[in-house]
Amino acid sequence: MNTFARYKSSIVNFVTYTLLLLAILIWSVPIIWVIVTSLKPRKLIFNDPPSLFFLPTLNHYIDALKTGGIVDSIVNSLIISVFSTALAMLVATPAAYAYARLRFRMRTPLTFYTLLMQMAPPMGLLIPFYFGLSKIDLLDTYIGLITIYLTITIPFSVWLMMTYFADIPFELEEAAVIDGASRFQAFFWIIMPLARGGIAVTTIFAFINAWNDFLYAVVLSGPRTQPATVAIFSFLAAEESRWGPFTATAVMIMGPVVVIALFAQKHIVQGLSLGGVKG
Amino acid sequence: MISPALLFLLVVGTIPLVSLIVMGLWRIDLIGFKPDAYIGFENYASMAGDDRFWESVRIMVIYTGSSVFLQLVIGLALALALFRPMRGQAILRIALLLPMILAPVAVGLTWRTLILTPDYGILDAALQVIGIGPSPWLTDPTWALVSVIMIHTWQWTPFAFLVFTASLHAMPSDPFEAAMIDGADAWQRFRDITLPLLRPAIVVVIILRTMIALRAFDAIYSATGGGPGTATEILNLYAYRVSFTSLDLGYGAALGTVLLLITAVISIVVFRFRQSHG
Repeated sequence: MNTFARYKSSIVNFVTYTLLLLAILIWSVPIIWVIVTSLKPRKLIFNDPPSLFFLPTLNHYIDALKTGGIVDSIVNSLIISVFSTALAMLVATPAAYAYARLRFRMRTPLTFYTLLMQMAPPMGLLIPFYFGLSKIDLLDTYIGLITIYLTITIPFSVWLMMTYFADIPFELEEAAVIDGASRFQAFFWIIMPLARGGIAVTTIFAFINAWNDFLYAVVLSGPRTQPATVAIFSFLAAEESRWGPFTATAVMIMGPVVVIALFAQKHIVQGLSLGGVKG
Repeated sequence: MISPALLFLLVVGTIPLVSLIVMGLWRIDLIGFKPDAYIGFENYASMAGDDRFWESVRIMVIYTGSSVFLQLVIGLALALALFRPMRGQAILRIALLLPMILAPVAVGLTWRTLILTPDYGILDAALQVIGIGPSPWLTDPTWALVSVIMIHTWQWTPFAFLVFTASLHAMPSDPFEAAMIDGADAWQRFRDITLPLLRPAIVVVIILRTMIALRAFDAIYSATGGGPGTATEILNLYAYRVSFTSLDLGYGAALGTVLLLITAVISIVVFRFRQSHG
């Protein structure tokens, strides 16, 4: 390599590493800043320019948890997300298998129907949901909310798991059936274990979608069932902006998802590319 | 085996969708004094003359068009530039993952407060160091629209990046080697080989991101609430305000039906695409 080429390649190196660093900063600083602010003593939050060095404190977390309704709202979020995820998996797993495997009449239109249900604009559904739930007195109830959340989690879970079932070689079930297993046994003992990864990804995304939802929650919940994504607004009322407890609550909302993301990184990338997040 | 899922979707999915369309033909005004009544296409007639509706469509087109375009260009540029063995890729991956899976409400509120507040927000403070600002990020109509587009782009460019990176990894190396032997320069290789091979990935990104941008709600609602005035009120938000602030459910349902139609058209495109590309 002559001197010029070496010179050129070191410039390219420098530029790409700068770009990499810049990208990391752009996408991580806002999230890191939430965590930093949540640990910052109150006096320093409104420093101009923002202060970087301080003695961290957990006061904002204590403050947030003492604020009426925040602990309840986190519990509500958990109840609603866990139930709507578990029920969705129960219903969606066999459905996805059937779409991927069985040849039946109307398969294509029904597949399209499931996709349309996943794509249906939540706002369009919310209006009749609100109207309907208020007619049968299920506004601000767990049953009402969980049922509605299933309309997010089921179609998406069917759609996502279908691709995993379709990847499992057909011959495996055939062999099992030839050996005398019933279709159901083949599904339960051969296919399910092989689809474990897909089931894990789908469960993760169903949970994240339910946990993160705001639109349905803000209209259909109420004082009894309000999840954390709605309750967090109380810190940022027009008359006072309490950044400390707000960021502490934001960290608590983001926490479970961040932990899942760190442990299941590969799965998440895969699920995202299959359309896993509603946005 | 699909019957439980289908039955559920029928009851809790299809019936609401049908009721949405039907409700759009009614007057259902929860705070009005007029009783509910079937009014045919009157809601649609008033929509045609509703300036705020057309304005919300205009903002929706600007919002969706520019944020999808930015995600595509930035995502592609980053994917191409960083497509080489480098230290730090693992960190980048995590940094890019989080914005997509964190609650959009938390993201929107964080931008509104910690990042864009004049003087105290880090972006505003950082720009002041180089002599720009303080800027009216969320209080000036034009700035507010730019801000919500920026937030959406920040949150979703990682998606385009990941799809393009995966697509680049899957590319065969033979055409590139052949082109090198034939003496094609970097730009020619990019234009004649890389770009055509990326086409399916580009189509996927455009379609999926358009769907999501059209239904954006949480981040805009929490950052600006659709304001100032109606500056960031995309159709989705207008339907929300009509339905749940003015409690005019009939007109809200008609607006929802328009959204549904737009979505249905795109769904058909997506479905065709999936069928033909496996």
